Amino acid sequence: MRWLALLISGPMLWAFLFSLIYALHGWACAGGSGPEGLDGGARMLLIGVWVLGLIAFIPLLRLAPSGQERHQRLPRMAVWIGLAATIVTLFPVTVITSC
Amino acid sequence: MTDIPTPAAASARADSVHVAPAPAQRALALHRDLTRVWRNDRGLWGQITAVNHTTLGLRFMGTALVFFAIGGILSMLIRAQLATHQGAFLDTALYNQIFTMHGSIMMFLFAIPMLEGLGIWLLPKLLGTRDMAFPRLTALGYWCYLFGGLIMLTALLFGVAPHDGWFMYTPLSDATHSPGINADVWLLGVTFVEISAVAAAVEITVTILRQRAPGMKLTEMPLFAWYMLGTSAMMLVGFPPLIAGSVLLELERAFGWPFFDPTRGGDPLLWQHLFWLFGHPEVYIIFLPAAGVMSMIIPVMCRTTILGYGAIVAAILALVFLSFGLWVHHMFTVGIPHMALAFFSAASVLVAVPTAVQVFAWIGTMWKGHPQLHLPMYHICGFFLTFVMGGLTGVMLAIVPFNWQAHDTAFVTAHLHYVLIGGFVFPMMAAATYWLPLITGKARIRGVGEAAFWVILLGFHGTFFIMHLTGLMGMPRRIDVYPDNPEWVWLNLTSSIFSFVLTIGFAMFVLDLILQATLGQRTRRDPWDAPTLDWAMPVPSPSYNFASLPISRHLGQSARDAVLSLARGEGALAGAARGRRELLVTSVGVARPHHVAILPGNTALPLYLSASIGVFVLMMLAGQYRLAALALVPVGALIWVWARGMAPAGDLRAVEVAPNLNLPVHHCAQHSLARTGLAAVLVADGTLFVSLLFGVAFLSVVTPATPPPAAGADTVTSLVGLGVIGIALVLAALVGRLNTRSAAALGLGANLLALAALLWLAFSQMDDPTAHARDALRAAVAGYVGLHMLVAAAMAAFVLDQFRRGEITPQTQGALGAWQMWQHFTTAVALLAALVLIAQVGVS
Ligand code: HEM
Repeated sequence: MRWLALLISGPMLWAFLFSLIYALHGWACAGGSGPEGLDGGARMLLIGVWVLGLIAFIPLLRLAPSGQERHQRLPRMAVWIGLAATIVTLFPVTVITSC
Repeated sequence: MTDIPTPAAASARADSVHVAPAPAQRALALHRDLTRVWRNDRGLWGQITAVNHTTLGLRFMGTALVFFAIGGILSMLIRAQLATHQGAFLDTALYNQIFTMHGSIMMFLFAIPMLEGLGIWLLPKLLGTRDMAFPRLTALGYWCYLFGGLIMLTALLFGVAPHDGWFMYTPLSDATHSPGINADVWLLGVTFVEISAVAAAVEITVTILRQRAPGMKLTEMPLFAWYMLGTSAMMLVGFPPLIAGSVLLELERAFGWPFFDPTRGGDPLLWQHLFWLFGHPEVYIIFLPAAGVMSMIIPVMCRTTILGYGAIVAAILALVFLSFGLWVHHMFTVGIPHMALAFFSAASVLVAVPTAVQVFAWIGTMWKGHPQLHLPMYHICGFFLTFVMGGLTGVMLAIVPFNWQAHDTAFVTAHLHYVLIGGFVFPMMAAATYWLPLITGKARIRGVGEAAFWVILLGFHGTFFIMHLTGLMGMPRRIDVYPDNPEWVWLNLTSSIFSFVLTIGFAMFVLDLILQATLGQRTRRDPWDAPTLDWAMPVPSPSYNFASLPISRHLGQSARDAVLSLARGEGALAGAARGRRELLVTSVGVARPHHVAILPGNTALPLYLSASIGVFVLMMLAGQYRLAALALVPVGALIWVWARGMAPAGDLRAVEVAPNLNLPVHHCAQHSLARTGLAAVLVADGTLFVSLLFGVAFLSVVTPATPPPAAGADTVTSLVGLGVIGIALVLAALVGRLNTRSAAALGLGANLLALAALLWLAFSQMDDPTAHARDALRAAVAGYVGLHMLVAAAMAAFVLDQFRRGEITPQTQGALGAWQMWQHFTTAVALLAALVLIAQVGVS
């Protein structure tokens, strides 16, 4: 069970960050920020959460077992999958300013 | 044929789980014993009471095939109508019903049940066990599927079928715009069918995690099992949003609770979110099992092992998660904030990567092996050609500006059929031709199958490739006539002609199956020289699968070598000496033998239970809501009888599983299958709750404000009520641990007190749920929590009854563990709901 938990921890963290940032952006776009753009504070909040999320992958990477056996490699690959997904799907917080 | 190295060879050196082989016995005697215990009863009654996975898996697949044929006939009607620009074959109203029913049948009554059936039929064989974890649940799922499907078909025959498209968008499907029962048929029928999907997901999860042959580590199990594990996890999380959406929409239609009505604080987009939160993962739910089939068949057809096992497992994991981050790409045109468009567009492009990893792994496997062009391989090639094209148009549609152009045109129809027929129907045809010898015990007759393949391939691409062009020329989907666009006629006519070619191809395919089953010659065991356990049994497969269960040493052999040893009883748990259905339960990670589960025998209870749920659904459809509530009484009573069937009874002594290995039976074991099953149910249930909370958050934050009427609740009184509920539930959760009769009585009382307090709050403090979506959602959340309290009270009462009967002892736990788990869950969701409610009041 612990192994399975480790296996899904990276993608779970992505899912959590994706939901959180999606929710925060919805909230920011609905209140205050007009259709022309997010206000500065909201943008900083989104970027901050994203960066913190990326940092949160570091302990997971450390926790993942080293070694080349399949049961060691898989949890490691899974954390990288979560990290890559977090970078690719959420990087728009850094470049898009409009709602 | 060259020999294939066994993929599980490594597990022969499994460090941990060595089970000693048993001495050989007479194979025929074992066979007779086991058949007596595991076979279905005779005649029609035997079919009704069957709970065996082989029977039910085949029945699921057979029924799905019938629905495929019906869906296919409907598609022919669509194509006949579209062949000319002013087709007078169907009128608009009927056309709407027909395309809606075509889509709904193909998705809910063909694809999903087909993959469930395949999983149910194949997994126990592949994992080295005798049945699924909960055979009565398998049967219940089947009957719910059948009855739900029949309700939808009957509606079609009477001209009252759903007509709002397979995704039932509001406001089109609300009571004002869809006044008859058409939309209710969809909402209730599909939800009824989904009981079977959730049941199958629970079973599949538990079977894969807990019933693998001793020594078959998670990291070495056949890839199909990984794919099905991913699929079932997705079903557990993917279906609840749709169930939540359907229940909310039905509440709106039946009682006027305005979740989706913008004039009363609702939002039609909430439906779209809930639908696509299910709808997009659904595509992968359909694709993953098909990909699992590919990963099983390709290595065998190429006389090699799969390339990149680890990479494929990682790709499955990525798909399982990423597919939940794509749903908004179905809503790119509804006015979503730009930033969200970017998130979902990026995720949609990213998801192509794990898909590509698998495609490359399959191509690499073919490259390193020696491909042999048997019939399954034809369909695999059909898959490659078709699915890759569907994937490419998918990436095109993931790009927002292109999507804005092509949205809701025939281009999308073409894309979705390339993905669904390429990614599901071709692999299923490969599966049918590959595993049919195990089902029928017959070899195929050459010629018809190959011809069928070519006709299907030609018919498919002829029909659908052209629809890309029609779409790019601007033809919208879901239109029945196009009088002002004669330039689309020749393309449509060509599509229609080829669609008939396609139908002829499918008919030839079925003919091939029938010919094999009836006229084929007897085949030898393991005709493909496959290495996996599904072939390490006689053909056709017996009701009990294995005379003795495979142990580490069999996993290291080829199927052909293992088959005789298993038939002679040299594995674990040989024969049926105690005259009951037994199988071995193992640990999650390395499959260490843990205990012996005793399964229920043949019974008609699943039929009765699903029929009584069916009565409830019909009463709802008829608008008889009081009678519908009454119909829930037999449902509850039958569930009680069902649970009584799980009570400890008979010989509870430890069982000799293998020489020097005695294991307890499940009544006396700590982590039973039921416990794992309940955990899976709670995952689905928790997702349902989160979907409701999503609704609360969405309507509170995103929806343009239609101010709610002033709240009539008194803050102090409400807080006191919530406090009583909280204290009672926390108490119930705490006393559950005490394992005593009086604790169970206290638990029952506490749940009833909480329920009474909730009812009092609902009637004295909550505002009219028809006035505003905010109040409707509060009532829905309260209903959800109340239902859980009611179930918790019933479980506490059940445990109390078990104490009275002396079924709970220091050795046997009865339903105590299940009640505790449920109670904790109920307490947690109630507290969370209260917090959200208070926060919502604070925000507003
Ligand atoms: C047997 C060959 C098939 C043919 C000739 C066919 C044809 C069609 C056509 C022409 C439409 C468009 C109707 C319209 O927009 O007016 C359609 C819609 C659809 N088809 Fe098929 N189809 C076939 C098989 C399948 C299969 C196997 C699936 C799924 C597994 C499927 C799922 C759908 C769905 C979901 C829709 C959308 C329905 C809607 O718009 O509500 N089809 N089909």
